[in-house]
Amino acid sequence: MARFNLYQEEQHPSPLQYTWLEFQKNHIAMGGLVCLMLFILITIFCPLLAPFEPNLQKTGNILVPPSWDPNGGISHIFGTDGLGRDILSRVLYGCRMTFGISILLVVFALLIGVGLGATAGMSKGFRSSFVNHTLDSIQAIPTILIAIIIIAILGTGLVNSMWAIALALIPQFVHQTRDFVRRELSKEYVMAARLDGASKIQLFVRSILPNMGETLVMQATLALSIAILDISALGFLNLGAQTPSSELGALLSQGIEVVYIAPWNIALPGGALFLMVVSVNIVGDGLRSALRNRLLH
Amino acid sequence: MVNILLRYTNLIIITLFILSLLSFSLAYLFPGNPIEVLTGLKLEELQKLQNQSANIAYKPEGSVLSQYGHYMSELFSGNWGVSFNSGQPLYEEIMLSLPASIELSAYALTLSLLVGLPLGFLAALRHHRATDYTLLSISVVGYSIPVFWLALILILVFSLQFGWLPLSGRLSLIFEVPSNTGFVLLDILLADIEDKPSVFLDAFRHLILPTLSIAIVTTTLILRITRRSVIETLNSEFIQAAYARGLTTRQVLMRHGIRNALVPILPLLAMQFPTLLTNAMIVETIFSWPGIGNWLIQAIYQQDYSAIRAGMLAVSVFVVIFTMSIDMFLRLTDPKRKKIERGTI
Repeated sequence: MARFNLYQEEQHPSPLQYTWLEFQKNHIAMGGLVCLMLFILITIFCPLLAPFEPNLQKTGNILVPPSWDPNGGISHIFGTDGLGRDILSRVLYGCRMTFGISILLVVFALLIGVGLGATAGMSKGFRSSFVNHTLDSIQAIPTILIAIIIIAILGTGLVNSMWAIALALIPQFVHQTRDFVRRELSKEYVMAARLDGASKIQLFVRSILPNMGETLVMQATLALSIAILDISALGFLNLGAQTPSSELGALLSQGIEVVYIAPWNIALPGGALFLMVVSVNIVGDGLRSALRNRLLH
Repeated sequence: MVNILLRYTNLIIITLFILSLLSFSLAYLFPGNPIEVLTGLKLEELQKLQNQSANIAYKPEGSVLSQYGHYMSELFSGNWGVSFNSGQPLYEEIMLSLPASIELSAYALTLSLLVGLPLGFLAALRHHRATDYTLLSISVVGYSIPVFWLALILILVFSLQFGWLPLSGRLSLIFEVPSNTGFVLLDILLADIEDKPSVFLDAFRHLILPTLSIAIVTTTLILRITRRSVIETLNSEFIQAAYARGLTTRQVLMRHGIRNALVPILPLLAMQFPTLLTNAMIVETIFSWPGIGNWLIQAIYQQDYSAIRAGMLAVSVFVVIFTMSIDMFLRLTDPKRKKIERGTI
């Protein structure tokens, strides 16, 4: 909205606005954001959008092709699977499950990671180096191995696989927070607060944390794409979400049984999964370059 | 130099000690009797064995500490217990499947380096131009593809639709190659069999699809890492200085650019190793590749706890030694590195 400006007043956008302005310039990133919003909407309003119950079986409609196929029908837009369940509904519910759980995991890992990272960053000596080395070891071990161990102890299941992924996500948040806190601690505004008599906790919460927000959001988008891929991989291997569930990875592994005659059973859930990860990655990329450009100016 | 060597040796030993403790404690954490998980034998079989010969020392009443001591001495003598299901010694099973995984990951990594590094350089040199944007968009797509879906699609297209490439496994069943090194291509070269070229071709055809599925994701990661590093190097002052001295772009790149850009890439690559291994383990199960990932996941399905304990120890020890050695090597060769750096892709 270009409005006539009477006063030659200079406007200085806040850092957050500046990031948003930079982000808007990137059209691909905006496209990714729209796509991501779509997935968020699906996650929230899934029961309203889905035409059928995800586990409703219609024995008369087994393996109906998608609607763009000559043999397909309009009542099942994405077709049906080997048990006569509507694939569109299952994919929608699957998106909700995979995306929702991944966000939950990322928030959980972020809280724990920032807490640990702040402790490690503010303290020196043995405690810091202990946290450091333990996390390095965890980070070096493949996620799937951690998941296998946890699942062997607790048994297969969605919740148990969630623990494994959360454990694998935490280290990067800790590293990010610790390095950031270390860098900021030597800056003058922190010194000023310290001279005012701020305690360590006040120093972190009031001075350092507000500056960390964007970096954390960026890191969270990275973690989100990893979480989505991991949770669906475990679901695919039957280690996470179990068979009747409509988690996207589990959907794919169910689709394998009929892949010969009904390839849309793996193409469509996989496509949804791919679109989800792409949109998250594009938004993360856009955010990162927006942040980088802002800091350059 | 000696200081760094000592520090890293120390670190590796401590980490390995923790891992061995973890693997021992798994015996108590897993369902079932600890001694069954540690040996892979059922309790009755153990007692039968003890009655037969006196020199099998099975002391369930010993303290946990002495149990750990016995466990470690058995581990070092190569006696890792037997599998619940197959009854085979675990050491031999793991030594057969671990090289298969390493082989697959190594080929995938080599392929991605061969493709990813030059493309990364190309994208960086054409920064903010069409080539750069194209490569960058391809790379975003590439590293967003779920690796198991990609593998399935590749199978659908190349094996089922066109029938060009074999669906699964490592070698056609008609060929019999004795296993010496565990690496199938090497084994074929070393083996004394008829019609070597056709066997080799068959093994190669089996390798293509799994290697491609892993390599596509890894390539895009390498492309992005390289691109970022080269852009940052080209913006630094010594490059400007080289241009100021009148060197051509080619000379600047050859003499100053490439070497300095490659240095920060290596540690980031080492950080991607766990991702590579995770992808390899997933792809193995899809292609029935007889590697450690497939083996471990089968062990989970069959609740073979003794196999999981040994497999977890073997894989994590391998990963820890590998990553820490790379870290140490980088630290020794690059004096600028003060501590382990972490970056973004």
